[in-house]
Amino acid sequence: MVSFAIRRFLAMIPILILLSVTVFSLAKLMPGDALTGKIDPNNANPEYIAKMREQLGYNDPVPVQYVKWVTGFFQGDMGDSFVHKMPVTQLIGERIENTVMLALASLLITYVVAFILGMIAGRWPYRWSDHLILTFNYIGYAVPSFFAAIVCIYIFSIQLGWFPASGSISVGAQEGTLYYYLERIKHTILPAIVLGLFNTAAYTQFLRNDVIENASKDYVRTAMAKGTKTSAIYNKHILRNSLIPMVTFIGLDIGTLLSGAVITETIFTYPGLGQLFIDSVSSRDYSVVMAISMLLAIMSLVGNLIADLLYSVVDPRIRLR
Amino acid sequence: MMKKNSGIVMSAFMALSMAVVGCSQPSASPTPAPAPAPTTPEVQPDNNTPKPGGTVTFAYRSPFKGLLERAYYEGDDDDRILRFTTEALIGTGDDLKPFPYMVDWTVSDDKKTFTFTMKNKDIKWHNGDPLTMEDWKYALEIIAHKDYEGSRYSNVEMIVGADEYQKGTAKEISGIKITDPYTMSITIKQPTANFIANVWSYPAPKKYYEGIAIKDLVNHPKVRQNPIGTGPFKVKKIQPGEFVEMERFDDYWQGKPLLDGVVYKVIDGKMAASLLKNGEIDMYTIQNSLYDDVAKIDNIDLIEVDELAYTYIGFKMGHWDAEKKLNIMDRPKYSDKRLRQAMAYAIDRKALAKAFEKNKAEPIHAPMPPVSWAKAPDSELNTYDYNPEKAKQLLDEAGFKDVTGDGLREDPQGKKFTINYDAMSGTEVAEPRAQAILQFWKEVGLDAKLNGGALKEFNAFYDMVEKDEPSVEVFSAAWGLSADPDPAGLFKATDLWNYSRWVSEESDKLIAEGVSEKAMDEAVRKDIYVKWQKLVNEELPSIFLHSRKEITAKNKRVQGTHVNSASPINDTHKWWVTK
Repeated sequence: MVSFAIRRFLAMIPILILLSVTVFSLAKLMPGDALTGKIDPNNANPEYIAKMREQLGYNDPVPVQYVKWVTGFFQGDMGDSFVHKMPVTQLIGERIENTVMLALASLLITYVVAFILGMIAGRWPYRWSDHLILTFNYIGYAVPSFFAAIVCIYIFSIQLGWFPASGSISVGAQEGTLYYYLERIKHTILPAIVLGLFNTAAYTQFLRNDVIENASKDYVRTAMAKGTKTSAIYNKHILRNSLIPMVTFIGLDIGTLLSGAVITETIFTYPGLGQLFIDSVSSRDYSVVMAISMLLAIMSLVGNLIADLLYSVVDPRIRLR
Repeated sequence: MMKKNSGIVMSAFMALSMAVVGCSQPSASPTPAPAPAPTTPEVQPDNNTPKPGGTVTFAYRSPFKGLLERAYYEGDDDDRILRFTTEALIGTGDDLKPFPYMVDWTVSDDKKTFTFTMKNKDIKWHNGDPLTMEDWKYALEIIAHKDYEGSRYSNVEMIVGADEYQKGTAKEISGIKITDPYTMSITIKQPTANFIANVWSYPAPKKYYEGIAIKDLVNHPKVRQNPIGTGPFKVKKIQPGEFVEMERFDDYWQGKPLLDGVVYKVIDGKMAASLLKNGEIDMYTIQNSLYDDVAKIDNIDLIEVDELAYTYIGFKMGHWDAEKKLNIMDRPKYSDKRLRQAMAYAIDRKALAKAFEKNKAEPIHAPMPPVSWAKAPDSELNTYDYNPEKAKQLLDEAGFKDVTGDGLREDPQGKKFTINYDAMSGTEVAEPRAQAILQFWKEVGLDAKLNGGALKEFNAFYDMVEKDEPSVEVFSAAWGLSADPDPAGLFKATDLWNYSRWVSEESDKLIAEGVSEKAMDEAVRKDIYVKWQKLVNEELPSIFLHSRKEITAKNKRVQGTHVNSASPINDTHKWWVTK
């Protein structure tokens, strides 16, 4: 398995190079640059813009710009954000905590809800409970997350006032107090639910189908013949087998969750990477756009690797060569 | 049949009476209600006399950058925070004229040296340090420093010695002299009428920033996390991208502010109406498309002011020669003034405002803010009121006639004539608005189509317009206007941002005269600008469309606010809340 991991890791290098070329060229192909938005006679003049373009290296040949960026990136220097006037690493550092918290919370919600619903639906298939869950799943699948976000804000924060509508923390909360952490959680729940909704639907269906399939297998029949209690069969034997595909999803989720938060974070004005990404695209803050795209791509790659490794851990029948 | 008709009349009448009721309601609120019987005497003063205490939540629609030093801030996002915490030494009035605020000044006989004296010697920074002229000098030095990366050098470069200081050949800016802590003189290169309006007058806390190199200043914690100013409120806590908590500055030079504090909060624009309604936010400059939703809310007042910006349709009449840094007028397609005027007459600007701006936009006829003291009265200008007949007549005169008989006019040479129109995407009304404009031109027989068949995203649009792409002919855009009426930067032969590439000797002459020594007399200066506006209004290098209204929604509990064209945030020390 170790040699497998090393080989997979080495195989990632050409992919990364290809990715960096793609990310860089796509960013550079966007019309305009960070200074287009500065065309405003009140706050700037053409001389300033020309000077900054020169200083930022926008006038260098494209291959030179690429080499500069890529060498910096792999040394951990992602450049400076033109808009925020600070190093990109510092900017991302400020935001990543929020995004990771949101991702973990939504992961937790996804797994807990999918686990419960999937077990119920799988144990008693084709009953009213199964149909209800199925309906819920279809809705979860079909509703786009931006719409779900707005509906959730309208109902839960504006009408009912249970959760705050925006932000990651309340005004006046002192860092380090219990109140502060409770507030953080309170602010994360709503966006986490919206973010987790889509995956919940998928996982519930996965688990349900797997449980149904396993229920007709030989080992279940044997257990039944031995007189094992039905609940024990489901909760122990079947569950353990059905969890295998679910666990491996965790790896894949790492990449998708971080990128999936883009829309949700924007609507909830939750200051994480996703919101930063959207803002940076529209203001053409290249260094930030490229850094986040690369980060997300690397996350996906690493996530895939973890998923593959997990397969062999959870299911010894799978041999990695 | 009869019955049906009367039903329509009836409902129309009902609608009318409802409209009347709707109109009369807002006017009722400012007039104080008839005094109630004196059974509850202590209730009444509640709503009329300012009282201390309370906080106000001011909302904005996009995350702030947090560049909380005036020399570096760029957008409205940070400006709105800084308006609570900092103040300029020279004020700008509602009519956009500069006035002595924290400093007074005198001018030397050669009109080159301005001597400023602090009106109040007891102004303090939030950390208790006294404000002196050293702080102003320091601010000018930051901007003129070679390591400074902000965009404000144009507000300093008129000072004698600024260029040498920027190049590093001088240790001091020779034109700045401090005689005592409260008196400073500035000498400028040549007498300039708008020097007072243009010079950078936000002080920077020299002592507080001591020991910080200029290149590190922009990202220093003293700018990012603990900025200070001399304004009525001081920063208490900054949550990047979310909110800034500010508290009262007790030593504020105009007296202790009434509010305990202010919260500046970032919200999603789509939720604005709901958040205003449930009182989560108190003040917010709304998008005009939200007007109807917000106007329905009982606890909200709407304040309208003219925006310092205008929309226009430009004609590409040449290209920019980057070598010579000069506009060359060499694209003849729209060079006939009558064609440009006809295209203006063909557009019903009032109808456009009604359809796409909820009627919250006024047609303008020259590029000058409606509130500006220098604006030419409409009676002096051609207002280009909607007149398709006049448009057709002008086109006929100019030789644009329909020779092929397809209902569309050909150019004077008899060749097919098509207007290639460009506009920006981004709002929900962008597409129908562009189609309406094309339709107006078609109605007078001009063939018009969208360039490339679609609207363009902001960055792509300006990329093409600035580079004079050959396909760009007629383009719809907008400019922000400065408080000072000087049109330099957008209309001279040497201006890159003169996107029409329109060159006129007379215009250049008037623009130069407008800032010359003789224009230091305000009446003379206004006269020059009226002449210039008449010229532009006649030549029409662009069709000037609208100046929009900027609408600020305010919870009725917030009192004492002062909204003007420059900003919704003024005199914050006088703000107070009823509960």
